[in-house]
Amino acid sequence: MKKKILVIDDDQTFRELISSGVDKEQYEVSTAADGVQGLEQLEKSSPDLILLDIMMPRMNGVEFLEKMQSQHADKKIPVIITSNDSSLDTISRGAEFGVRGYIVKSNESMKTIMASIERVFSETKK
Amino acid sequence: MLIFLLGFLATCGIGLSAFLLLNEFKTKLAIEKREKDSSRRIYELAILREIGDRIGYSLDVNQIVDIITSSLHQFIEYAAVSYMLIEPEKVIFKMHLERSVHRRFVTDIRDRMLQSLGALLEREFKKEDVKEVLSGAILLEEVDEPVRSFFNIPLVIGDKVVGVLTVADTKGGLYKEEEMTILYKLIQQASKAVTSLQAVVKAEQEKVSAMVESMEDGVVMTDADYRILVINPAAKRVIGKESQKEITIFDFIDNLGGKMDMRGRLEEAVKLKKNHVSERFDINGKFYQAFVFPVKSDTKLNADDVFGGVVIFHDVTREVELERVREDFTSMIVHELRTPLSGIQKTSELLKLPQKRGGAVQTKKFVDIIYQNSSGMLDLVNDILDASKLQAGKFEVQLEPADIGDIIENRMQFFEISAHDRHIKLESLITKDIPKIPLDIQRTKQVLNNLMSNALKYTPDSGSVTVSAFVHEPGAMIASEISKLKLILPSSLPEQMFPQNKRALVVTVSDTGVGIASDLLPKLFSKYQQLNNATFVSNIKGTGLGLAIAKGIVEAHGGSIGVVSQIGSGSAFYFVLPFSDTPLAAKV
Repeated sequence: MKKKILVIDDDQTFRELISSGVDKEQYEVSTAADGVQGLEQLEKSSPDLILLDIMMPRMNGVEFLEKMQSQHADKKIPVIITSNDSSLDTISRGAEFGVRGYIVKSNESMKTIMASIERVFSETKK
Repeated sequence: MLIFLLGFLATCGIGLSAFLLLNEFKTKLAIEKREKDSSRRIYELAILREIGDRIGYSLDVNQIVDIITSSLHQFIEYAAVSYMLIEPEKVIFKMHLERSVHRRFVTDIRDRMLQSLGALLEREFKKEDVKEVLSGAILLEEVDEPVRSFFNIPLVIGDKVVGVLTVADTKGGLYKEEEMTILYKLIQQASKAVTSLQAVVKAEQEKVSAMVESMEDGVVMTDADYRILVINPAAKRVIGKESQKEITIFDFIDNLGGKMDMRGRLEEAVKLKKNHVSERFDINGKFYQAFVFPVKSDTKLNADDVFGGVVIFHDVTREVELERVREDFTSMIVHELRTPLSGIQKTSELLKLPQKRGGAVQTKKFVDIIYQNSSGMLDLVNDILDASKLQAGKFEVQLEPADIGDIIENRMQFFEISAHDRHIKLESLITKDIPKIPLDIQRTKQVLNNLMSNALKYTPDSGSVTVSAFVHEPGAMIASEISKLKLILPSSLPEQMFPQNKRALVVTVSDTGVGIASDLLPKLFSKYQQLNNATFVSNIKGTGLGLAIAKGIVEAHGGSIGVVSQIGSGSAFYFVLPFSDTPLAAKV
């Protein structure tokens, strides 16, 4: 069965790049433009991994994490933060919610991003 | 007969000579008197001048009276000249003796002067309060002669009696009108000089103190022992002690809390004559820079003589804020450029990978992404360029007669698709009577792009956006023009924005969006604005330069731009371009 990835990011380019860039044999990608849409997606299905941006309109990444923990605690979905906001504050807030990885989006290549996704999945398997 | 005649002639001759002689004598007397008068007057004037010169710009009454009394013997005879001056705690009595007199003579004059002072000021003076200074000839027991001539003149400065001056002698009948007149003149002259000088100094002091009091910068001046001599309200505000009357250096030391070593810097200023400019520091929510320098007692004479120090607290809060805004602006731009650049880079990375199934479709998609991202970056860079042109005041427009209706319709088509996607009703309301007026077509489109895209951005799905254009007639009320047009705006437009004596093109872009809080309205058109408001930034991306650029374009056309809004019901942006009715040939 294909692994489901949910990309929550207000940058349309990034959403499209992940959708196009992943191995379609292995992964199925759904997208959301902000935290509100992300929560709507969670109602419908349970992804195996969430790529989460922090700075987004309407509901930002940290608010999304808070909501997810209170509303979907049972799902225990691994999260990788993909943001250009690499402030310590964000990282420590992320840690409170058991975030599995941080990617400073603009600094990393697609290859690295893909490798991080695979790493989280291989760790989850164990 | 002949003899008689001769005799008669001789008599006449004698009579004539006598008459001539008498006349000559009278003339001589008159000349002598005139000479005496004029030489006396010259002498008087010379003395007055000498005294005037010696008084110079002195404001010390003591010193001035000393100068007068030391010159007085040149034209008035006296055994003693003395003056009495009232000081806060005592009465100064100074007597200069030209000839030796008995002690009783001195005491007598002292008592007479004290009495006349008392009469002048309607106040009683005690003998114990008198501080006596005698100079000149010595007192002699043998010369026991009483005061036989005595004359008192009150010393008046600025309508106030400050003392009396007295000449006295043992000889009787000395002081007649002539001497008294001179003395009066002298005293009057000196009193006038001092009075006017004091008025000037007082006015100058008031100017300086008013200036220091009303300065925005805090000013503190101390003496060499760091006691505060002058402090203005702004300086008290720095340490949050506006209402405290007495402020010491310790109030500053306590409140500055090591952010600026005021005591140490003052010590350097006083002892080493060193100036100091501090780093910026913050206190009570404001930023200051302090300047410390020595105060020299006389800028010309004793240039090295330092008697204190001055600290000036210059409020740099505004500069710090501006710098912060600029830094934020820069980091916003970097962020806005980094996102599309990184998108382009990642897309290229994917394009470099070996092509998989459906490669052509995929490639087209990637090229689209690159195109969109680079277009966005270009727009941003153009906005920044426009904004910097605005700042440099180099914004130029290429005017040509243009039909605003055509320009608006062109923009309507451009935005139709995105409005349709979001079920927003996009409408235009353009009157038929608008003449062609000089416009920069590209720049006008840019303004409409900005106003219309904002309106669409802030209007929820199923709302509506209306663009209107009409001519405002001189003297007409804009409210009635709008209602005639059946245009519904969230709030009425301010009448004062529309010219009274000229026709003007009015364009409005109104929406049924979220509205803008009234406190934000005045700031909307300023550069960097989006940054100053967090909620604005978090909801809508962008540089926030658009409205500032739109304002610049409208103003370059000689027009003005404005906005009215109502929270919950929407906003209306509008611009007004006054025009003349025969403008085309001249203005193009």
